[in-house]
Amino acid sequence: MITKNVKCPVCKNIITIQGNPGEKTPIICPNCNTRGEFLFPEEKLGFQKAAGPSSIEISGLVKHFKEVKAVDNISFSVKTGEIFGLLGPNGAGKTTTIKAILDLIHMNSGNVKINGFDIKKEGIEARASVGYLPERVAFYDNLTPLQTMNFFCELWGVDKSVAKPLIKEVGLEDAIDRKVGTFSKGMVQLLGVAQVMIGNPPVYILDEPMAGLDARWVKIIREKIKMLNKQGATILFSSHILSEVENICDRVAIINKGKLIAEDTVTNLNKYLRIKPRLEITIPGLNGRIPEVIKTIGGVEVANAKGDTLFVTCEPTVKSQIITALQNSGLKIDNIKTIEPSLEDAFVKIIESGA
Amino acid sequence: MVGFNFKSMYTIAKKEFMDNIRSKWIIAISIIFIILTVVSSYVAGGQGEFGGMEETVVSLLSISALLIPLIAIMLGFSTIAGEAEKGALYVVLSYPVRRVEVLLGKFLGLGAVLAVTPLIGFGLGGVIIAATVGAEEGVAYLAFIGLTILLGIMYLSLVIFISALCKTRVRAIAGGIVLFFWAMIYGLVLMSIYIATGGSYEDFFSGSLLDLPDWFWASIVFSPNDTNQMAVMQAFDLKQAFGFQIEAPDWLSMSFLLAVQMMWVLIPLFLAYFFFRRRDI
Repeated sequence: MITKNVKCPVCKNIITIQGNPGEKTPIICPNCNTRGEFLFPEEKLGFQKAAGPSSIEISGLVKHFKEVKAVDNISFSVKTGEIFGLLGPNGAGKTTTIKAILDLIHMNSGNVKINGFDIKKEGIEARASVGYLPERVAFYDNLTPLQTMNFFCELWGVDKSVAKPLIKEVGLEDAIDRKVGTFSKGMVQLLGVAQVMIGNPPVYILDEPMAGLDARWVKIIREKIKMLNKQGATILFSSHILSEVENICDRVAIINKGKLIAEDTVTNLNKYLRIKPRLEITIPGLNGRIPEVIKTIGGVEVANAKGDTLFVTCEPTVKSQIITALQNSGLKIDNIKTIEPSLEDAFVKIIESGA
Repeated sequence: MVGFNFKSMYTIAKKEFMDNIRSKWIIAISIIFIILTVVSSYVAGGQGEFGGMEETVVSLLSISALLIPLIAIMLGFSTIAGEAEKGALYVVLSYPVRRVEVLLGKFLGLGAVLAVTPLIGFGLGGVIIAATVGAEEGVAYLAFIGLTILLGIMYLSLVIFISALCKTRVRAIAGGIVLFFWAMIYGLVLMSIYIATGGSYEDFFSGSLLDLPDWFWASIVFSPNDTNQMAVMQAFDLKQAFGFQIEAPDWLSMSFLLAVQMMWVLIPLFLAYFFFRRRDI
């Protein structure tokens, strides 16, 4: 949300208006009733956008910690303008991969390009294209949020005037004069989110950005990620909250034991894994009994019942056949709910398959 | 310099300075230094009067040799190991900055903090003494302040190297403690070797160390504390300190001692960069 002061062309009265980039807002002057419109300009990204189709390109990334292969020949690319999710169980190698992308840890082999710049050969240019929020973000205890942001603005070479609005944007304006050392984990995380937006970079790498935050702030950060993406930013986003990844991401990569085991859209992953939808059918008087007729229908994978609800996992094509068969056998259906397969289902199936 | 951004280094140095100068213990240490200077002068003067600059420095020398390394270690041990462990370094290094800029920025910022405390503490103490008993040996007193700052800088460089080498904050503080104790016992170790290799007991216990062998004097260069104290003694042309009469050889000149101390700053700093550059954060 941008706040802007505009001058009425007739009476020269100053009117304060709010809106989002690219939004057209109608204005009525409270002084002279003159009507007009204001178009909020689209925000420009701070650094030249990637000329190529991919903003992050990783090929053959390998990282050993002594005998342990933390990242094992991982290759993927994040298309310009997309939100890409990095998923995996704890210790899978997500954070190591992210740190290797930014050259915070030195890869044993492989290549990483950010915004077309090689992280090894053109590290300064590559990092000037990225906003990074680490999993365990921390700042300096004796500095206030404003001093912290001023420091990072200076380090980035950005005017310090952006610091206050960014602090306000993440809702920390009431704590602007408090020392960061007195902040809760969530507040530090929010300061991290404000910090990541300094310089308006075209690429964002967010490692578990919602970790430790309550629902209100999770929603704000989710909206912020979507807004940045709407403005053209490319986002690589790691999380263990599958629903968040499913809600936000265009594509997903799943990492397990240092290896990339799947990379696709959420829909395609589900299709590829043939994860079937689940029907929840409410039948009064069912009493936990599975109707015999269900067992005769081809395409039904699993059927079980609890109380008056029948749970059937099946091919999507046999859904109507099941309903007809149940009705023909004299059962009255009160309600049918279809639970579509989630990313969580895909994730669990992939991890359990030990791929 | 091509490929080096002085502005980034300055920004980090400024941040380090501001972050530490806000800490109350820096102010407390400065006040302690003022009190120590005045009390040392008073004790050195005897008979209820303040002593001169030289007497004050002789009294202060052993206290500053103890406190300054300790402050440097406290300031520097967390610089890399602690910040990497805590997470603050991830953010800084994800910005368009080079590791050499970060390291030198931290060194200069903390160095400035280390310079400020003795400058205020011993400086104001010196002003009080000068106002009371006169500013005789004032230049040498200023040299003492400068050399005290240099002592802090040497230890800062050493502890930053330890911090760059150690994986965790706990190991870095352990390294700092080992460094401190080694500095404290180095003189004793040398004396023990001297006596064990046929040195005169009588000379040692009578407090007269006029015939020390060359290897003894040469080994001083391996101790930042001893090199620094020797330089302070040269500044005041002292022949007696810590209860001993000392006659240093001619080659142990002020310029030689300063050059050795510069090596104690530069070599650990270079090694710190060597390890920091290769370090996984």
